[in-house]
Amino acid sequence: MAQRKKPTALTLRAYQVGFGDCFLLTFHYDSADRHVLIDFGSTGQPRNSGPKLMARVAQDIRKVCTPADGGTPKLHAVVATHRHRDHISGFDDTGGPDSPGAIIAGLAPDLVVQPWTEHPKANPETGAVTRGTTAKGLHAQSLAFVSALQDMHAISQAVLVEADRRKSAIGKTTLKEITFLGEDNLKNLAAVKNLMRMGKGRRGKYVHFGSDSGLEKILPGVKVRVLGPPNLKQSDEITKQRARDADEFWHFHAVAGRLTTKKTPKVFRRAATYSATQTPPYTRWFIKRMRSVRGEQMLSIMRTLDSVMNNTSLILLFEVGGKKLLFPGDAQIENWSYALSKPSVRRLLEDVNLYKVGHHGSLNATPKTLWGLFKNRSEKKKTGRLLTVCSTMPGKHGKTTSKTEVPRRTLVEALKSLSDYHTTEDIKLKESLCDTITIPFS
Amino acid sequence: MRPTPQPRTRSLTIIAQDPGVKVKGKVLRAKIDIPAEEVSPGPWGYRVHVVDYDTSTATLYKPRKYPSLNSKSGGDPYAGASDRQLLDDPGFHAQNAYAVVMKTLARFEFALGRRVSWGFRGHQIKVAPHAFAEANAFYSERDEALMFGYFPGLSGRMVYSCLSHDVVAHETTHALLDGLRERYTDPSSPEQGGFHEGFADIVALLSVYALPDVVGAIIDFASEGRRDNMIARGDLTLESLRRSALFGLAEEMGQELSAMRGDALRRSAALTPSTEYMEMDEFEEPHRRGEILVAAMMNAFLTVWANRLKGLGEVERGFLDRGRVVEEGASIADYLLTMSIRALDYAPPTNLEFCDYLSAILTSDREINPRDSKYNFRQILRDTFAAYKIIPAAKGTREEPGIWDSPEGSISHDRTHFESMQRDPDEVFRFIWDNRRPLRLYEDAYTQVLSVRPCLRIGPDGFALRETVAEYFQQVTLQAAELKNLQIGVPDDMRKDEEVTLYGGGALIFDEFGRLKYHVRNRLNDRERQTQRLKYLWRYGFFRRGRDAFRNFSFMHRQRALSTTNRATEEW
Repeated sequence: MAQRKKPTALTLRAYQVGFGDCFLLTFHYDSADRHVLIDFGSTGQPRNSGPKLMARVAQDIRKVCTPADGGTPKLHAVVATHRHRDHISGFDDTGGPDSPGAIIAGLAPDLVVQPWTEHPKANPETGAVTRGTTAKGLHAQSLAFVSALQDMHAISQAVLVEADRRKSAIGKTTLKEITFLGEDNLKNLAAVKNLMRMGKGRRGKYVHFGSDSGLEKILPGVKVRVLGPPNLKQSDEITKQRARDADEFWHFHAVAGRLTTKKTPKVFRRAATYSATQTPPYTRWFIKRMRSVRGEQMLSIMRTLDSVMNNTSLILLFEVGGKKLLFPGDAQIENWSYALSKPSVRRLLEDVNLYKVGHHGSLNATPKTLWGLFKNRSEKKKTGRLLTVCSTMPGKHGKTTSKTEVPRRTLVEALKSLSDYHTTEDIKLKESLCDTITIPFS
Repeated sequence: MRPTPQPRTRSLTIIAQDPGVKVKGKVLRAKIDIPAEEVSPGPWGYRVHVVDYDTSTATLYKPRKYPSLNSKSGGDPYAGASDRQLLDDPGFHAQNAYAVVMKTLARFEFALGRRVSWGFRGHQIKVAPHAFAEANAFYSERDEALMFGYFPGLSGRMVYSCLSHDVVAHETTHALLDGLRERYTDPSSPEQGGFHEGFADIVALLSVYALPDVVGAIIDFASEGRRDNMIARGDLTLESLRRSALFGLAEEMGQELSAMRGDALRRSAALTPSTEYMEMDEFEEPHRRGEILVAAMMNAFLTVWANRLKGLGEVERGFLDRGRVVEEGASIADYLLTMSIRALDYAPPTNLEFCDYLSAILTSDREINPRDSKYNFRQILRDTFAAYKIIPAAKGTREEPGIWDSPEGSISHDRTHFESMQRDPDEVFRFIWDNRRPLRLYEDAYTQVLSVRPCLRIGPDGFALRETVAEYFQQVTLQAAELKNLQIGVPDDMRKDEEVTLYGGGALIFDEFGRLKYHVRNRLNDRERQTQRLKYLWRYGFFRRGRDAFRNFSFMHRQRALSTTNRATEEW
């Protein structure tokens, strides 16, 4: 049976979606191709990208997924690494049948893979958690963690409202970063619901380190390992002092946020206050300082929250035809820690051939420990040299002055000097929507 | 007619710990004495200015006018107010914050025997009791301020951090410690990193335990064997006190506040004596390291208390007088608090480690209280710290192990004038320069006198100790490759031309005759400590992030609340 054979090659399409991720993996079998879409989102599109870039990308995906004989287009699997907008906004289907989300849904994927934290039953309001993802004693904690993730959307919303109200006092650069992070962390309800619908019933897989991704059934001859995120039991194995108070911390932030987003927020109803024009001179310097501090506070919260969300990201390792392809989404070191604590996983990662650069090349999503494992790094261009692919857009995230710019200069230097480095920055949209890389298998 | 003496203190109502600690359904409150002054609306006094602006709602509250000290109320507008009045009136919140900040400042000034400056150039610290709707509170040197957040709690009622005695005292301590030892926020070692937080927790907790109202309440919460005004002896063993005074108070404290920066009391109480913590990776994280210091100190407090109670006479067979038990606990907390603060003058101004701080406590206490016969505190501190593997930095003498050694070498006082040495940094610098060899300074470094402070300290027996404390600091910047000349180890992956700044410094304690009694220092060219320091700084990203990143108390508290681990080694 031809379908049971191994694929002969892979075509990887890294789409230019600006600041976001969209990778289409096409596994070529003798009989037909099989397609897996890893993420489809953007929070900032490149200049001159033209109208409806995401819809054009979706149409291109449909085209690629259409069999050569003109049969029904078919996308076999969707992987949504985590719920950030720059990874899932394309699944939004509110614009009707021509919206990017509707186009992807129309490709009728057989499988939708997401992290365990996205399970529809992991609902803090109903008190359920994903069966099998947590040990018995961790039920309440898992629920609290999922609840904290929900709170983070509320916090983002509140921060955006507060920042907008006080924008004159916050400063342009801080406001820009708050807005960027705030919007990325807003709940993208339409996209989440579309993913949920696509993954309804047995088509949905919600996974954690070591669990079955379901992709192996879709991709005969391909081994797919889930290396992250760990569930809470696994996290506890490496962090004795797990942040028990952290979930509560986010809850209180969310509730406080709801207070400040009211139209006329008031804490002490009967207290005498000054009107904005009455402020005594001796308070003005301090009030100005406080407003600026508040802006920095909001930014700092957003950065922390952004990291927590990144660390729910799926990490997938594809092994096929003697090649290893690593797709870590936006996972940062806290997510990676569990996998990297296992000697067997570290050995497994030594001969990775293709590495999708984590979190658009940020300073903390390619842990130096991980980078140090890759044996195929080489200063010389040669066969078998490590291939790295980064989907990114400079000027959107972080600052050069604080050495937090994305992509981080020192990381890009290392990627360029020690690997065959591909970046979506090099894609000229007038010519193509994506960078196409073909990897033959033995 | 003889002039009427002006009052020296003003007595103000505060919430004893936080609104969560109640007795018979009422919020436990206390009256505390603070230095008297005629305050302007705010309160706005000579060291503290409360500006009640809320950035989240853009509201500036009008301050209350304060009655004169000589008025009938004695200057306390909230004497006898109901709980609701206290909780719902931002004016009371302002008073609560003002009073606790002033009380903490007064404690420092008493312990050190002199005026104490904030960690910035101004004289009046700004206090914002409702700075933002967020579970955080912090000291900001740049803004010369303490900012306290508020947030809706689990019950739906608002939680105001400015109403928590320990939170306000903690933040005030950061501001005062920053003024006394400005280099303690330098990244140096996990212990220096943890000291600011740990020390602020110690001051905050002991300030709370020094209030008899609080001690009485926690004894009552836990004492099953209580009868009228008597407490069963069985409820007052070391273990019972640990349960009641530490865990008991932790249970009663506003639980939601632990979301602000972790739960200092509960965590420290959970760290029962063990020599293993210091070696565990988990305690490499500075805020966790600080918890070991807090645990050691709180255990010393309980041990002394339990020992004192053993010697108390029984009012009835098996029962002690509640009043005496409470009085002992509050007095011991007060004494230990004074000891802890006074030790700062005897601690090296750079690269502090817990072993240095222990020697500093032992030495400073021995100077003012040579016999230590009442509490036997020094021996108990040595024992409890040893139980956490904190051994004094100095060997000391046979009678007083752990105290700093007298200065080595032949110190010359011939060319300096003691009168000037009590206040003039240039005169002290001349002394240092003349004695640079016996003081074993690193001669190729820049050297600066940071402060000269004459002190008049009063001992427990009324004995007055006059001292002058001067603090100097040295620094030199070298390329990594040059460090081998000082036998300092360099991380393998550090560039040879990476510029590394080494710091060193010392505290000089002069007696009342101007003779040098102690030279407490960490040498700039201390091979072992500098190697460790460099390794730590490299690992935690100092060379990439810069010094300011380590001075951000707001960020530090959030990291602590979230138990965030520093992963700088993995970053690009």
